Amino acid sequence: MASITIKNLTKKYGNTIAVKDLNLQIKDKEFFVFLGPSGCGKTTTLFAIAGLVKIDAGEIWIGDELVTSIEQGVFKPPQQREVSMVFQDYAIYPHMTVFDNIAFPLRIRNVEKDEIWKRVEKTAELLGISSLLNRKPRQLSGGQRQRVALGRAIVRRPKVFLMDEPLANLDAKLRVKMRTELKKLQLDLRTTTIYVTHDQVEAMTMADRIMVQRDGIVEQIGTPDELYNHPSNLFVASFIGSPEMNFIECALAKEREGLCLDAKEFKILLPAKILPKLRNSIGEQVIMGIRPEDLYESGSVDGILQGNVLRMTVDLVEPVGPYLLLHLRCGQISLVATVKETNVKTGQEVIMEMNLSKIHIFDKKTGKAIT
Amino acid sequence: MFLLPLWTDLTTSFKDLNDVIYTVPVQPPRSPTIEPLLSAFNIMARPLLNSLAFTVAATILSCLLGSINGYALTKIKFRGANIMFLLFSIGIFLPYQAVLVPLVLTMSRLGLYNNLVGLILTHTTYGITITTLLFRNFYGLIPDSLIMAAKTDGAGTWTIYRRIMLPLSLLPFVVAAVLQFTSIWNDFLFGVTLARGSEAMPASVALANLKGTTEFNWNIQMAGALWYALPILIIYLVLGKYLIRGYMAGAIKG
Amino acid sequence: MRSPFSKGFTRENIVNLLFVLPSLILVGYFVYALIGWNVVVSVSDWKPASLTPSYNFAGFGQYVKLFQDPVFLTSLTNNIILILLFVPTSLALGLFLAILLDSKVRGEGIFRSIYLLPFSLSYVITATLWAWMYNPDIGVINTLSRAIGLGFLKSGWVGDPNIALGCVVLAIVWQFSGYTMLLFSAGIKSIPDSQIMAAEVDGAKGFNLYRRVVIPQLKTPALSAFVVLMIFALKVFDFIYVLTGGGPGYSTYVLPLMMFRETFSSTQFAYGAAIATLLFLLALVIVLPYLYLSSRRERD
Repeated sequence: MASITIKNLTKKYGNTIAVKDLNLQIKDKEFFVFLGPSGCGKTTTLFAIAGLVKIDAGEIWIGDELVTSIEQGVFKPPQQREVSMVFQDYAIYPHMTVFDNIAFPLRIRNVEKDEIWKRVEKTAELLGISSLLNRKPRQLSGGQRQRVALGRAIVRRPKVFLMDEPLANLDAKLRVKMRTELKKLQLDLRTTTIYVTHDQVEAMTMADRIMVQRDGIVEQIGTPDELYNHPSNLFVASFIGSPEMNFIECALAKEREGLCLDAKEFKILLPAKILPKLRNSIGEQVIMGIRPEDLYESGSVDGILQGNVLRMTVDLVEPVGPYLLLHLRCGQISLVATVKETNVKTGQEVIMEMNLSKIHIFDKKTGKAIT
Repeated sequence: MFLLPLWTDLTTSFKDLNDVIYTVPVQPPRSPTIEPLLSAFNIMARPLLNSLAFTVAATILSCLLGSINGYALTKIKFRGANIMFLLFSIGIFLPYQAVLVPLVLTMSRLGLYNNLVGLILTHTTYGITITTLLFRNFYGLIPDSLIMAAKTDGAGTWTIYRRIMLPLSLLPFVVAAVLQFTSIWNDFLFGVTLARGSEAMPASVALANLKGTTEFNWNIQMAGALWYALPILIIYLVLGKYLIRGYMAGAIKG
Repeated sequence: MRSPFSKGFTRENIVNLLFVLPSLILVGYFVYALIGWNVVVSVSDWKPASLTPSYNFAGFGQYVKLFQDPVFLTSLTNNIILILLFVPTSLALGLFLAILLDSKVRGEGIFRSIYLLPFSLSYVITATLWAWMYNPDIGVINTLSRAIGLGFLKSGWVGDPNIALGCVVLAIVWQFSGYTMLLFSAGIKSIPDSQIMAAEVDGAKGFNLYRRVVIPQLKTPALSAFVVLMIFALKVFDFIYVLTGGGPGYSTYVLPLMMFRETFSSTQFAYGAAIATLLFLLALVIVLPYLYLSSRRERD
């Protein structure tokens, strides 16, 4: 059983709080991602789990074992935690061959020679680097080095894999390829994995569940679907999804039988479904969020809840391969819409509709989602 | 524990003769006196001045020339660059015995034997080997694009040196200067070969002579050593980290 | 890369040439011309005690004489013993100190400064200090030993022909260990933290960690230090001149000292020049491979 439990984890560096009162439960065999911008505390949390940094408060369990506890004075050194780690710069030993690098953790534990041979060869085969076993790191490409680092991590069959932005130094194409391979590998090996990244695309494609952090605080924990479709606050909503979600400031006002979003440039009548949630916010300033793919040219898609319209001018049409980005403007509002094809050109006026079932409304003061 | 020899130097300098004989060197003086210091100073005053003079001069010259060489080797692409650098590098490791005799002959022919200028010339030349190395390594890190931009702006070789390289060179100058000052001040071989007379005798030779002539006046010897070491100690305390950088530049003439 | 010089004598080229000319002349003369001159002297018939040199070719007689001279053989042996004792000890001590320094983080700068101080001092100073320390009657070592009751350790130190060389080695190891420590320390620091962390996670700690991960990566600083130490051991003159003057007897006599004495005391100029040439060749043997290796490494 290799679940991970963290309670009230706090870590300070001098006067800066890197991680504040973190509580987290990771399930066995889960592919769990720590996501967030630089400096949000994700790597610190990872290192704390590994035992590479000492924490200031809280407890950490790996499986059933308490490995760190400030209150009870427990601290298991990293050597004994049965975790393995892949670093962003791979950290493979330049003076050893690929074989020796992968064999290193086994040799330290005095595993029998034959056993070492067997396991290293199997691991190398699994990762497709069998032909490189006698080479030295400086003779390898970035992608090959990364596999060596992976090999060293998996040869031990630890309880948990910890990965700190392992794909960050690869070129774009290789990165995409490795994402799939890593995910497949994890499914094959069925080991709990914690993966740190700042790239939300990576997180969304690979994770079973994601924890989004900012400035040491947890913003939201959930599956990719939850985070994408039900972000719990402005930060998560803006961080996840590319192109970024559109945000419009408006007021929540009474309109005929229901409520509407009132901005200088338009008025959107809200569907009855979400009215109950908005009861307490009538008259408040809110922020409406709508993703680019949920904006349509009027009349172009059938069968969607027809909402009210926005009259906008096209600033720029940007082709991005399989679809087009429409940069739109109306008064103070700029929006980006994703469409499959269009006939409009720059400078023209176009009427846009939005998919009202996909509207997100956030409280302007707290940033928290109301819907 | 490690600093033991230095501590005894300090304490012994302040002891009068009786103390020296009867107390354990590690103990501080029973009746401290500055008499040994004064005697030593009297003997060493002129040599200290000599040392100061030629050390400063040779340091400045060798640093300047080293900087120019470093610039030439890295930014002016000329064919013989690598060979020149190789030849200079061998000079760093040269056992000076191999040039001693001809050196003496040269100096006396030029009338520079027993002369400060002779010492300056000698130290500058051999110093160039290592200052060139230092500057070359430093200038190698300056991106060529900077030079190319200057050229398209119309700057010639000398202008580039004066307006771009030099202003960026504060750090290597300090490192080279500290390194050179220490090496040249500490030198003994050239001093004892080229400058025995009092006109140009360096402090190192004077100290060695002190040992010979005042065989049992350990306190004066220690005091002399203290005087001689003083400038180096000051430099070490204030600019020590630059000295350390110099050492790490790879090879130091022992 | 086509050199601008190949385009002829443009104004720019002349300026460029002027840049390096002074240094080239100086170094060219003072290093290479003089070396050559020295070799010439070594095969000349310059009479001893005559102050005017004479350059008729006199064959390699001086070199032959060298190998039959017991003083030379003693000096050579002493130099070799010096190298064998001094170089490994300094390297080992430096490595040890560097590892020690690596473990404690507090006060690192101060320790480093303390250990490096001797290296910055002149050999004349340190030799004087050690001469004082080694003094059999009132020197530190003997009096301290007596004070702590280890009186039986007292000995003549540098006055004793059997161990004088060892005493010299001890003193120069003291002076140099800071330098080797510095080089190794820099090497250790250049190993990225992530490698150490990876090793820890993989199960290595303490001595094991150093042995398997850190030390094997210190080959480059070790080589640099090695060359510098070897060259120093070859040409050490200042120190021995001041500390023992080569004595007692010839027990601390080394080649540079012999060269000096022969040339300037005994005025055997050609003989001294021969010794000097030999020294130069020995130094070349050590330095050239090193320079070749490091230039190859730079090209990577």
